[in-house]
Amino acid sequence: MNHNKVLEVENIIKIYGKGENRTEALKGISFDVLEGEFLGIMGPSGSGKTTLLNSIATMIKVTSGKIKLKGEDISSFKGKQLSSYRGKKIGYLFQEFELLDNLTARENIILPLSLHGMTGREAGEMLKKLSWHFGIEEELDKFPSQMSGGQKQRVAAARALIGNPSIVLADEPTGALDSRNSKVLMNRLSVINEDEGRTIVMVTHDANAASYCSRILFIQDGRLFHELRRNVGTETTEEFYERIVTVLAQLGGGSADVL
Amino acid sequence: MFFSQIKRNAAKNRKNNGLFFGSLVIAVIAFYTLLSMDKQDVMRFLKTIESDAVSRLLKLVPVVYVVSLFFVFFLVYFSCHYQLNERKRELGLYLMLGMKRSRLFAMLMSETLLNSLISLVIGIPAALLLTEVISLTTVKVAGLGIIGHEVTWSFAAVIETAAGFVMVQLIAMVILSIRFARMEPAGLLRPDAKETQEMAVGIRSGLSFAAGCILLAAAYILGVTRLESFDMIIIMLILIFGAFGTFLLYRGAGAVIGRRIRKRGPERSGLYTFTGRQIQENVLCQYKTLAVSSLLLLIALSCVSYGIGTVVSSQAATAKTTDFSVQDKEDEAEDEAKDETEDLAGAKAKGDTLEVLNSRECKKYISAYYPMYLGMADAEAHEVSVAGLKKAASTLKDVKDKDIQDNVVEYMDDSGGYEYFIALSGYNHILEAAGKEKLSLREGEMAFYTSMKEYANRIDIYRGALKNGAYIKVDGKRYKLLEEVYYDNVVADRQITLEKAFIVPDELYQEITADREPFCYNVLLKEELIRKDGFMQTLEKVSGIFRENGLVYESYLSGIGRRLFYTVAGSYITIYLGILFMIIANTSLALKYLMQQQANRKRYRTLLMLGADPGEICRSSAKQIYLFSGLVLAVSSVSSVFAIWSLFNSILRLPEGVSPGNVLILTGAAFAVFVATQMIYVMIIEKTGRKDIRSLKIG
Repeated sequence: MNHNKVLEVENIIKIYGKGENRTEALKGISFDVLEGEFLGIMGPSGSGKTTLLNSIATMIKVTSGKIKLKGEDISSFKGKQLSSYRGKKIGYLFQEFELLDNLTARENIILPLSLHGMTGREAGEMLKKLSWHFGIEEELDKFPSQMSGGQKQRVAAARALIGNPSIVLADEPTGALDSRNSKVLMNRLSVINEDEGRTIVMVTHDANAASYCSRILFIQDGRLFHELRRNVGTETTEEFYERIVTVLAQLGGGSADVL
Repeated sequence: MFFSQIKRNAAKNRKNNGLFFGSLVIAVIAFYTLLSMDKQDVMRFLKTIESDAVSRLLKLVPVVYVVSLFFVFFLVYFSCHYQLNERKRELGLYLMLGMKRSRLFAMLMSETLLNSLISLVIGIPAALLLTEVISLTTVKVAGLGIIGHEVTWSFAAVIETAAGFVMVQLIAMVILSIRFARMEPAGLLRPDAKETQEMAVGIRSGLSFAAGCILLAAAYILGVTRLESFDMIIIMLILIFGAFGTFLLYRGAGAVIGRRIRKRGPERSGLYTFTGRQIQENVLCQYKTLAVSSLLLLIALSCVSYGIGTVVSSQAATAKTTDFSVQDKEDEAEDEAKDETEDLAGAKAKGDTLEVLNSRECKKYISAYYPMYLGMADAEAHEVSVAGLKKAASTLKDVKDKDIQDNVVEYMDDSGGYEYFIALSGYNHILEAAGKEKLSLREGEMAFYTSMKEYANRIDIYRGALKNGAYIKVDGKRYKLLEEVYYDNVVADRQITLEKAFIVPDELYQEITADREPFCYNVLLKEELIRKDGFMQTLEKVSGIFRENGLVYESYLSGIGRRLFYTVAGSYITIYLGILFMIIANTSLALKYLMQQQANRKRYRTLLMLGADPGEICRSSAKQIYLFSGLVLAVSSVSSVFAIWSLFNSILRLPEGVSPGNVLILTGAAFAVFVATQMIYVMIIEKTGRKDIRSLKIG
C-alpha cells in the first residue's frame, strides 16, 4: 500500500445557526486518509458523521478548517471548479441510491462521465469492467423500477466508481438493504478497494458493513472519539466485527472515560 | 384571524399559480364578451336590419356558454388539483394541529371564492374595455364610420358571467376539498408515493405510433377528398380517425423517443440522454393531456380559420356594385322573390322615377344613375334554345360533384324558352362600379351571367360548360358564349336572383325581350359626400327622399347589414371559441407539465451532486418544455393544415372572386398569434423551472 495522503482534514468546525440557535456540529476534527484506504466513520445519531461526509463532498461549507484533496483546498472551490470536483474527483454513494428513475442502469452509470463531456461509447470499456465486477451486466438496459434494491445500489456503486475518482464517499450505503444484499455490496466494494487500491470513505451505523473497512473513526458530539485499525492479513472480518461492536457498546453508554 | 389567513393563502395561491390565475381572468373576459353580445351597439344596429339572423345567433349564445363552462370546469378542476397537491403537507398540518375538517373545508372554499371574486374584479372591467374595442373595430372593418356609438354595459351579462364562473369554480373545489379533507392527516403529510412509470417500451408502443400515423393520414385524406359530400358517415369517420389517431400517436411517441435515445445516446455527452428521457417520461405519463391539448388547439385553429373564411366570404359576397336600385311600382317591393316573373313582365315606368332622380334635391347626392335592362325573352315571338349550353354542361368530364352537375343540367329544361337577358350597357356600369374591366361582345357572342356566386360548385360546372364550347340559339342563330362566368350583382341587394342569364348587346336585348322599360334604375351616390358624412347617413338621406316621393327602392343598406352581421358573427366565433380553446389547451398542458416537474426536484438535486452545472440543468429543463410543447404544436399544426384545407374544400368554399391568398395570410397570422401565445406560456414555465433549479440546495 502506498502511503500518499489523498485527503487531509484539518481542524474543521461546522456551526449551524446563529445566536441562541447556534449548534456546533463539528468541533474541530482532523484526520488523513491514505491512498487505498477503506475508512469507516461511525458514531451515534447526531454525532456529526454525515455533516463530516457532506463537508468532504462539498455539499456543505465548513465554518473553519481546511479539507485538502490531493493537496488542493476544496473549501475554496466555486462554480465550474466545484461541479468538476463533484463529478470527477469524488464518487458518491447514497443511502437511497439516488438513481434517476427515468434512465436505464447503463445511462445512470455513465451519467457522471457524460456530464463532463465523455460519450457513452468512450466509457464503454470502463462500464463493461464495472458491471462485471458488480454483477449487473444483465441489468444494464433495465430501468430502476425493474431492479431490486440490491441491484440498484450496485448500479449506484458502479456510477460512483466510473469516473475513476480520487475518493469514493459512501453515506450509509447499506442503510436501505437487507443483510444478504448488504453483504454482496460490501464484498464487492472491499474487493475493488483491495484489488485496485480505490480509496473509500464510508459513514455507517452498521457494524457488519464497517467490519469490511481497514480503519474506523468513531465520532461523538462533533469530536473524534476513538480509532480502530484492522490488522491487515492477520485479522478476519469476524474478529474485527467483534472489536467494533465492543466500541459501539461503550459509545452507546455515552461514557467518555471507558477507554 | 381566520379571514386574514384565507386572504394570505389566496394571495399565495395567486402568486404561485399566476399562469392559471391569468387564464381565469381571460376566461372571465371571454365569457362577458360572449354574453353581452346583444347589448353591443353593432348588434343593436344589426337587429334593426337583420333581425332574424341576429336572433338566431343570440339563441345560440347560451348553448355556446354552457359548452365553454363545461370545458372551463375541467381546466379549473385540474388546476385546483395541482394547487391542493402542492399544499398537501400544509393541509395535513392543519388537521394534525386540530383544525376541524369542516373548518378546513370552509377555508378552502373561502379561498376559492375570494380568488374568483378577484378574477371577476379584474376580468369584468377588462372585458368592458375589450367589447368596446371590438365594437369599434367591427364598425370600422365594415366601413360604416361610427353609427351612433355609445358606451354600453350589460348588467345581465355581468351577473351571468359571475354566476357561471363562480359556480364552475365552487363545484370543482367542492369535489376536490371533500376528497382532500377526507384524507387522513398522515396521508397528507407523507410525501407522494412516487408513481412508478414503466419506462420500458415494447413493440406495442411502436405499433401504437404506427397505427396513429396511419389513422391520422386516413383522416387527412378523407377530409380533403371526401368531406364535400357531407355524408354523415364520412364526417364521423374523419372525427373518429382523427381523434383516435392523435391519441395513439402520442401514446406510441414515447417508444419512438426511447428508441432514438438508445440509438443516439451513446454518441452524445452532457445531459442529452437525461433530457431525452425526461421528455420521453413526460410523453409517456401525459400522452392523454398531449392528445387533448393538441386536439383543442386544432379546434381553436379551425374555429379561427372558419371565422376568417366567413368574414372574407361575406365581404366578397356583399361587394357593392350600386347604392340604390329604384323601381316605381308600389306593390313590387314587398315580396319580390315570390312573383318575380309577374313583376318584371308588368313593370311599367311611370316617368315619376326619372323626375325624382333628376330633381334638384336628388342631384345634390347622386353622382350618376342608369337604367338596368334585365328581362325575359318574349318566348312567343322568339325561339330561344339553351340546348348547346346544356350539352356542354352534360358532356363535361372530371366533375367533382356529379349531383350538382345533374342538377344544373336538369334545371336548364325548366324555363321553356323564357330565358333572362341583360343588356350589356347596364352590366358594364356594374362592372365599372365594382372596379372591373368592361365587357365587350363581338357579333355572334353573348356572355353568361349567374348571381349564384356563393355556390362555387355550380360556378365550376358553368365555367366548365363554357370552356366546353357552350352556345345558345336565338331564332335559329347560334351565339357563342364567352368562356368567363359573370356574377357581379346587378341590383343593390337581392331584388332578383338569377340562376342563369345572358348578357347581350343592347340592340339584341331590345329585339328579343318583350319588355321595353328598364327593370330598375341603379343609382350611385357622390363619393365626396360619402366621405364627408359617412355612407350610412348619406344613404339614409337619399332613402328619405325616395320614400317621400313614393318610389320603390332597395339600397345597399341590407348588404351592409349582412356583411356586418357575418363580420361580427365571424369575428365572435374567432375571438371567443379560438381564445377559449387555446387557453384551455395551453393551461392544461402547462399545469400537467408543472405537476410532472414536481417530481424532478430530486433528480436535479442528484444531478447537482453528480457534478452537473446548474446552468446546464436549466438549459436541459428549458429544452424539455420547448420540445414538450413543440410536440403538441407540431401535431396540431399538421392536422390544422389538413383541417383547414378540408374546410375550404367543402363547407366553406370561398365564393367566386375571393382569392384564397388573403384567407391564407389571415389564417397564417392567426396561427402566428397562437404560436406566440403558446410561447408566452412556455416562457413562464421555463422561468418557473429555472428559478426552481437555482433555488435547489444540496446536502
